[in-house]
Amino acid sequence: MGRKGFCIGLGALAALAAVAFAAPAAAQADAVIEQARAQGIVGEQADGYVGVVAGAEASADIRARVDQLNIRRRGVYTQRAAQNGATASEMAAAVACQIFRGRIAVGEKYRDEGGTWRTNTASTPVAVPSFCTN
Amino acid sequence: MRRLFILAAAVSACAAAGCIRVQAPDKPIEINLNVNIRQEVIVRLEREADDLLRDNPDLF
Repeated sequence: MGRKGFCIGLGALAALAAVAFAAPAAAQADAVIEQARAQGIVGEQADGYVGVVAGAEASADIRARVDQLNIRRRGVYTQRAAQNGATASEMAAAVACQIFRGRIAVGEKYRDEGGTWRTNTASTPVAVPSFCTN
Repeated sequence: MRRLFILAAAVSACAAAGCIRVQAPDKPIEINLNVNIRQEVIVRLEREADDLLRDNPDLF
């Protein structure tokens, strides 16, 4: 490897390192929503979006963040659905299946496919929607 | 020669009205599969859903 090749190699390495350090900072879940989720104010829904739990007192800030998050989720669903010849709601439902399978912690609230808010407890685990595979 | 004889026998059996006749229906056949199709689509998308969740840790 000549001097030029070495320089290019170093440059590539530096670029890789920059990506590796930059990515985690950009890929942080919204701390306010995470806190609201832990407090039972916000929860996952069977339609693939998040929602404010019925009867919970959510601040205007939390409601706005929920709306923003859902807009961004819809964008990702729409894009991924188009790549797979499906609709955004179908893609969202498939994601909900995976979320309901293992991403709702004990103590968190979730809204089932019938629209009822429930709590994931050790004795009553999350019911996976009927449209998911068994 | 023998094969020809069997064929002739089969043809004559039909002629004697003993064979089943298949006729296309007048109306198109409609089968409602909407429910199954939705579930099949979601099954197909579940692996894609895993990738989507992995690729967007800031949204989930």
